[in-house]
Amino acid sequence: MDTNGATTSSTAGGGSTSKSSSKKHSRKPVYSRFTQQELPACKPILTPGLVIATFTIIGIIFIPLGLVSLSASEKVVVEIVDRYDESCVPSNYSNDKLKFIQNPSINKSCVRTLTVPKLMKSPVFIYYQLDNYYQNHRRYVKSRSDKQLRSVSDEKSTTDCSPEDKTVDGPIVPCGLVAWSLFNDTYWFSVNSKTIEVNKHDIAWKSDKEHKFGSNVYPKNFQSGGLIGGAKLNSSVPLSKQEDLMVWMRTAALPTFRKLYGKIEQDLQANEKIQVVIQNNYNTYSFSGKKKLVLSTTSWIGGKNDFLGIAYIIVGGLCLFLAVCFILLYVIKPRPLGDPSYLSWNRSPAGHPN
Amino acid sequence: MIYVRESHVEKMGKTQDVSYEILNVLEFNSTRKRQSVVCRYPDGRLVLYCKGADTVIYERLGTGNDDLNKVTRVHLEQFGSAGLRTLCLAYRDLAPDLYESWNEKFITAKSSLRDREKRLDEVAELIEKELILIGATAIEDKLQEGVPNCIQTLSRAGIKIWVLTGDKIETAINIAYACNLLNNEMKQFIISSETDAIREVEERGDQTEIARFMKEEVKKQLKQFLDEAPQYFCSPSGPKLALVIDGKCLMYALEPSLRIMLLTLSLNCSSVVCCRVSPLQKAQVTSLVKKGARKITLSIGDGANDVSMIQAAHIGIGISGLEGMQAVMASDFAIAQFRFLEDLLLVHGRWSYIRLCKVVMYFFYKNLAFTLTQFWFTFGTGFSGQRFYDDWFQSLYNVIFTALPVVIVGLFDQDISSSLSKKYPELYKEGVRNMFFNRRIVAIWACFAVYQSLVFFYFVSLSSSTSRDSDGKMFGLWDVSTMAFTCVVVTVNLRLLMMCNSITRWHYISVGGSIIVWFVFIFVYSGIMTRFDRNDNMFWVIYVLMSTSYFYVTLLLVPVAALLGDFLYLGVQRWFFPYDYQIVQESHKDDADSINTPDSEETKEHLTPDEARSNAISQLPKEVSKHSGFAFDSPGYESFFATQFGKYVPPKAWDVARRASMKSKSKPK
Repeated sequence: MDTNGATTSSTAGGGSTSKSSSKKHSRKPVYSRFTQQELPACKPILTPGLVIATFTIIGIIFIPLGLVSLSASEKVVVEIVDRYDESCVPSNYSNDKLKFIQNPSINKSCVRTLTVPKLMKSPVFIYYQLDNYYQNHRRYVKSRSDKQLRSVSDEKSTTDCSPEDKTVDGPIVPCGLVAWSLFNDTYWFSVNSKTIEVNKHDIAWKSDKEHKFGSNVYPKNFQSGGLIGGAKLNSSVPLSKQEDLMVWMRTAALPTFRKLYGKIEQDLQANEKIQVVIQNNYNTYSFSGKKKLVLSTTSWIGGKNDFLGIAYIIVGGLCLFLAVCFILLYVIKPRPLGDPSYLSWNRSPAGHPN
Repeated sequence: MIYVRESHVEKMGKTQDVSYEILNVLEFNSTRKRQSVVCRYPDGRLVLYCKGADTVIYERLGTGNDDLNKVTRVHLEQFGSAGLRTLCLAYRDLAPDLYESWNEKFITAKSSLRDREKRLDEVAELIEKELILIGATAIEDKLQEGVPNCIQTLSRAGIKIWVLTGDKIETAINIAYACNLLNNEMKQFIISSETDAIREVEERGDQTEIARFMKEEVKKQLKQFLDEAPQYFCSPSGPKLALVIDGKCLMYALEPSLRIMLLTLSLNCSSVVCCRVSPLQKAQVTSLVKKGARKITLSIGDGANDVSMIQAAHIGIGISGLEGMQAVMASDFAIAQFRFLEDLLLVHGRWSYIRLCKVVMYFFYKNLAFTLTQFWFTFGTGFSGQRFYDDWFQSLYNVIFTALPVVIVGLFDQDISSSLSKKYPELYKEGVRNMFFNRRIVAIWACFAVYQSLVFFYFVSLSSSTSRDSDGKMFGLWDVSTMAFTCVVVTVNLRLLMMCNSITRWHYISVGGSIIVWFVFIFVYSGIMTRFDRNDNMFWVIYVLMSTSYFYVTLLLVPVAALLGDFLYLGVQRWFFPYDYQIVQESHKDDADSINTPDSEETKEHLTPDEARSNAISQLPKEVSKHSGFAFDSPGYESFFATQFGKYVPPKAWDVARRASMKSKSKPK
């Protein structure tokens, strides 16, 4: 009959010839692990042992790291912070600081004394710190022209810089609010009536000096309008050597920031008294900003910032604590791995009729 | 003109080819449930042969030959009980003038432009009456291999299975027994139109009377069953319920007034069998469940009569095979055998659900973590709207830096292997109950995204407030944001690895590749300065950043601190509140990787030709031709046919019990 005939014919084909010809009759697609979803895979299961081990390892690695960072920040780095904007206003102007700062004829110098708490090894870095100063405001960040800074031929590309883009004499170089608001307080340091030299070279990023600010670009028409925003620039010095400008133009991330002013290349002994003569030129009074002078040494991890060290210690400590908790829970309330009695249909056999 | 090879006893068994001329063919359609041909014998005799379902043929028989009709009816019931599909054959001699007049009407009807079907039906009615019964045929239409197992597994998975068939009630019940849908412990509710009371009314012939009476009967029965039902499922260990309903009764039960009762009753039953249903009724029943019960419905069928049902359901599956490709062409999915439905639902359906939930949740999470970081930044910019990240970072985040890994997860993630998915069909209920994508899960992911964004922003910005390294210089906005973005990309990609159930080498490649692409991109982006840049914020940023030890210290801290919360949550969830699939994973974690497929060919390389042949035979599918007809898996056929040949085959024990229970049910006819 039909069926047997079909059976015998294909069987004979399978037996006598090789496997490949019997495969020719099949319309099965070619087997590949990729298409049949049978790729070799690692199937990690978060067993209690793994969880406890992970927490323990993290704790063991992080706590020493945190201690190292913290000790670098606490012991190695010495920092002096001195707020001077309130006290550098003469007493007769203390109610009207704005008038004081905006009057160019009043003498703005002010003398402060700083005490060195511990030996500060050279180089000691001088920063000015501004609070409540939003260098990260959108319109401020936008108001600059990097093209102009790079080369003379792009002098005229001042589109984003308005209102500080051009005067009747031509385009302002460097244009924009960022450059216009250049910080102009100055500091002179002396100890025991001996002047300490401040090195103002190499305070800007190397990439700024070499690539971003052109060596043939000179300031032009800068701060020539009615409203003066900050420092004036020497128009015979090219931009690639104007390090204060370069430091200022690297807009800060947060409203409280500090920028590098210069370096002192000698050691400062403990308990030394340093006289600082400050020219209090910069107007932070109209927006209740604060000005601070900072002297700081650095370590391998940077300046005085306990945050990383403390964060490491907290995370590491938390992990060890959690590891201990899990060990206790594992002992008190164990659940055998893979126990079928925990399956939901085995737990409530009564259930519902569906 | 057709030729039939006949051998008659009178002609001494000699075969000869006799020619018959086919004059008209009245096609089969599902409303008429019959088909006929009119043919002319060599000697000029005109005969109409008709073949169809027994009910429609019996309606059209002439008087006389009542004995034959009764005996045939008994035979038909026996065939039905044995699970065979029955047909009746009848004929009628036609007088030439009767035929001529009818033929004219037939030709007009056939060539009419409007309502051709209806007119053909009417014309067919005219001639298909006063038939003389020849006899009945019975065919075994066997179940495919693996169907009972498949149905049992699917009902363990919480899927309710209804059978809608055009067969008689006995055949349908038999099929249901064979499929494990019905068994003797179930309480069966039968609503049939072949009771004696209904037959009496039908014989009277008044259509309105019949309709009214049937509707009353159906209503009464539905009510009665609905009242009886509650007592059975109050006790959890009580018998399950099953409903068997006939096509004619279904017609009345689907009317708006009775529909709700039917729906309530059938939803309480674990299986429903509908027999003698027309294709339209199949679609109506499917819509009833789909719209009335608001459950997800899946229809599976293999013939042209299943097309409307396939299209009415949420998901329609066509079985490609012997009855043509109609069902396949109308369906959403096509499979080759019924038993593949198990794979389709329990393996691929389940995996699809899990993968979809993971992909969607991960997408929202990674964008939330990324965007909220900028949100915390706005508090520090005087709400001026300054962006924290560079434009290119934002544009390419979803395109390059975090895109590929989630695609790989969506393709390859498997919580448990395919064989285990079929072994534990109850896991399917996780998808039914929507356990992996509900408000709670979304809220948890959102909370962790918020926590991570806080870590990203504050850890990075607070730790960069002083000198970048020992040379005293300070970071600016763009340096801090590049550091934060690096942390975001690394963390978000590592989080993906934490949420995978199975990690293939493509996962490693895509996750590692995404992070590497980020570094390559930022190296290139901050290394070049073109005339077309609006500003050079990013110039040389990454090189300076990576030359400080601050970068590495922060890059180690921030992802670990951010993922700590997630890791803790995953550990606690798996330990104290495990999902079912997690328990299955744990109990089978030491199984050898089941990459060898059951019919893997590698084992047969070293066989002798004989062994190869016997292997090949054993691997052939058991059904080869549609005309063989065995392995119905149904009880009784062996003993039935054996008795016809006068041989004795002992019936199986379960068969005896079943037949006994069925006989008592089929008594009230």
